[in-house]
Amino acid sequence: MRHVLPRLAGLRPKRILYPCLATIGVAIYLFPIYWMLISGFKNSAEIFANPPTFVPRDPNLEAFEFVFVHENIARYLRNSLIIAIPVMALTLILGSMGAYAMSRIRSRIVDFALIVVLMLQVFPDALVATPVFIVFQTLGILNTFLAVILATTSKLLAFALVILRPMFRQVPLELEEASFVDGCSQFQAFLRIALPIMRVPLLVVGAIVFVQAYGQFVYPLTLMNQQSLQPGTVGIYGFVGSEHADWHRVMAFSSIYVLPILVLFLLLQKKIVAGLTAGALK
Amino acid sequence: MSLRKLLLGAIAAIGLTATAALAEPKTVTLWHIYNFESDMIHYGIKAFNESQSEYRIEPRLVPYTNINPELIKAIATGTPPDLTVINDPVVASFSSQGQLTDLTDRIAKSKIINLDVYYKGPLASSQWKGRRYSVAREVNALALYYNADMFRAKGLDPDKPPKTWSEVVAAAEKLRDPAKGVYGIGFCAHSSEQAVFQWLPFLWQAGGSIDKLDQPEATQALQLWVDLVQKGLASRDVINQQQREVTSTFIAGGSAMAVGGPWELPNLQKDAKFDWRVAVLPVKDDKNIKASSLGGFHFAIPKGAKEVDGAFKVIEFMSNATLFNEGWKAGLLAPRSDIELKDPQWPQAYGVFHEQIKTAIQRGPHPQWPDLSRPIQIAIQEALTGTKPANVALQEAAKKIQPILAKTPL
Amino acid sequence: MARTRSPLLYVFLAVPVAYLLAFIGFPIVFNVTMSFQEVTIGNLAMFFRPFVGLDNYREVIADPTFRKVLINSLIFVFANVVGQISIGLCVALFFAENFAGAHYLRGLLLSAWMLPGLVVGALWKWMYATDYGVANYVLAKLRIVNGPVHWLSDPAMGLTAVNIAHIWYIMPFSMILIAAGLTTIPQEQYEAAALDGAGAVRRFRHVTLPALSPTLLAVACLVTIYSMRAFDMIVSLTHGGPLDSTNVLPLLSYQFSFEQFQFGVGAAIGTFAFILVIVVALVYVRTLNKEVSL
Repeated sequence: MRHVLPRLAGLRPKRILYPCLATIGVAIYLFPIYWMLISGFKNSAEIFANPPTFVPRDPNLEAFEFVFVHENIARYLRNSLIIAIPVMALTLILGSMGAYAMSRIRSRIVDFALIVVLMLQVFPDALVATPVFIVFQTLGILNTFLAVILATTSKLLAFALVILRPMFRQVPLELEEASFVDGCSQFQAFLRIALPIMRVPLLVVGAIVFVQAYGQFVYPLTLMNQQSLQPGTVGIYGFVGSEHADWHRVMAFSSIYVLPILVLFLLLQKKIVAGLTAGALK
Repeated sequence: MSLRKLLLGAIAAIGLTATAALAEPKTVTLWHIYNFESDMIHYGIKAFNESQSEYRIEPRLVPYTNINPELIKAIATGTPPDLTVINDPVVASFSSQGQLTDLTDRIAKSKIINLDVYYKGPLASSQWKGRRYSVAREVNALALYYNADMFRAKGLDPDKPPKTWSEVVAAAEKLRDPAKGVYGIGFCAHSSEQAVFQWLPFLWQAGGSIDKLDQPEATQALQLWVDLVQKGLASRDVINQQQREVTSTFIAGGSAMAVGGPWELPNLQKDAKFDWRVAVLPVKDDKNIKASSLGGFHFAIPKGAKEVDGAFKVIEFMSNATLFNEGWKAGLLAPRSDIELKDPQWPQAYGVFHEQIKTAIQRGPHPQWPDLSRPIQIAIQEALTGTKPANVALQEAAKKIQPILAKTPL
Repeated sequence: MARTRSPLLYVFLAVPVAYLLAFIGFPIVFNVTMSFQEVTIGNLAMFFRPFVGLDNYREVIADPTFRKVLINSLIFVFANVVGQISIGLCVALFFAENFAGAHYLRGLLLSAWMLPGLVVGALWKWMYATDYGVANYVLAKLRIVNGPVHWLSDPAMGLTAVNIAHIWYIMPFSMILIAAGLTTIPQEQYEAAALDGAGAVRRFRHVTLPALSPTLLAVACLVTIYSMRAFDMIVSLTHGGPLDSTNVLPLLSYQFSFEQFQFGVGAAIGTFAFILVIVVALVYVRTLNKEVSL
């Protein structure tokens, strides 16, 4: 008996205890999300009811129906994707280039570049919207997705650089040096050795950039003045008026809005697992 | 000549005749904030576009949270819409800086817009230094909503809503029911313009004004709110509730009375499962001054707009009587006194708000209205949180406000 | 080193930096310039405006609200860095145990961070409501509190409430980055440590932490900057109230610019935040260099 127990204790946590703990923990953590979801089914009186109702008393689909029928949610989602996908690609390209260089160059220039990059991140969108607008007005590309994509990338690039830099550091220099002996150029070493090893971090950074780009609000609003080009966030904010807000619609819209990317993320989790087990990172 | 060229020629010819018969309509871009489907703007846009073929409104919904920054940016960079809606207290901020097109002469020539019939409040908001920069789209005023069922349950007469401050306090004391989570009254003291909008009626009822915040009248007005909160007749959360949350709480049965505007009527209709009514705001017992705050949005043509003629046509169209009938469906009142709805929805509320609007006073106009408003917001919050006594908080506000008013009087 | 670094690396470095300078260099210069000028709605888009020297800064410093808000911002950033990294690290390590469903549950956590700030603010505002809020309801049912907590209507409580909500909102983001950092630690190091008989705690201290510290540092730096410009959620949660107890620099700057139309003052406040971030960036880079020399 005495030697069985420790073994069980060693086994159990992973098999049963951990998944249970994790499920309960995540469930508690995501309670506000549940609150969002059910608020979409409540009417505005019930949202403010005392005591709060954990299950909608009289669930109605009015808000969801409205969002689908009147709000052209497909167009909003499409616009969000048209912005988010290129931003992700551009940020990953520029970010991995820069981060790779920063991890390989040993010089004060890197420090300086990092400080510049970080410095440029501090102003919230709302405050720099006017000068950013002037930049794109000068370039003559207002009212295009291109402007929003370029502007959004400039906002997210610092994140990619800061996160990818230490991770590129983890790519063993010896591997690259060996490839140089084989006659590889620096570019080939980057492309064939560093990038494949960095697959998982790039995937994660790409996914995060995607989500942030998907949630853009101020730049699309300010750089494109056509309703038909606006992404979903602008649609969500539109429900909050000066005197009244259709909260149940806000909540319904944002539930629908988050769902596709959440599913994407969950599918991606599987890919990350696959990447790991395939030994992408040793 | 090839068949293709012939075809192209034919198409071109047809195109030409078509253009001659029906000129391509000129676009009038209109920025608005109304996602609420019952707002009259949607009806107005549709009706305007169908009524003529010279102009076509291209609307854009700008989320309310961002309409001012967007407008400022657009005007500054020379890319404004042809027409926009703008909140009444900021009209002066824009017009005093020359950011809106002067409409004085156009209005004078207009056969449709007759300023004589407009209420004084919206007229005051729309002018700066004798020139007129906007036309009121609709007006609203604050009144007192009350839950008649709760009145009956507590032995109050729902046909005799409180008429004076002391009656309001007395009713709130009776109506309050902590066991059921019911407060006597709700009002908005949110840290924004909304708090000022809701408090000013009480200031005016007490005989005060914002240039005399250091006088006892102002203190009495603020003390009324402080007492309501400290006695537990109103929730302490009023300092963090926006107006819509105050009425949502009322609709959900969390308070028996609430200070609110007519824009809430569609929500009440939809969600309030009790006998609700509206009363004009109370008066201060010894003063008997009727007053309410005036709100609403105006139409204005930003500086640099390309289609000014078309935009003004839209303003004229939106100022016709039928449209104002539509307005009431979203709880918005006509900005002019000559319009009486014959068979209005919510007749009881219509009567009250129609009455209330006559005593409603605009904020400003003052180009620095936001600078005047902020010290008041701070004073309200200081007093309600008990950080400072009402009179001290207001004296400090007065010190900040008076120099601004000394330079540019109201 | 076997080979001198190729010039290509410098090109790689220059491209993203040039990109950033091109698109946000000007806006920053624009804002800083504005802080020395008299800016009105009328001259907002011009570059040359009446120069007022340090007047805007004097006004900012003289404003008691600013001092309060500066302190709020520092507390907010500090709480977020500490809260997000410590909780994020624990959660990431826990999920790194690779039990059944770990990856999906970890992915689910991220849904919090995917929401628009407006929605998160509104949700927490409801949950925090003194009377109809879930927070007080649950706390009272569990008998943790006696009377209701005035989460958002007590100036002494407001910032704590905002901190909790914001850490909740952004922590999954920090967590996923830390988790990604964990995957880059070579498994052999753990095996070697295990062979040496190191227990879980020692493995964490001697393998995980050193290998992870560059990532943690990077996350700390990002969280600092992101918290420094946190805006949307706070606007919708409290709008800075009650009594500016939850106001932070970006919000104050916005309020001056677009609610008071004092753009110069707003820009000056922005510049203060800017200087703070330069300090943070310097500290970050310094610490990085120390790591390299170790």
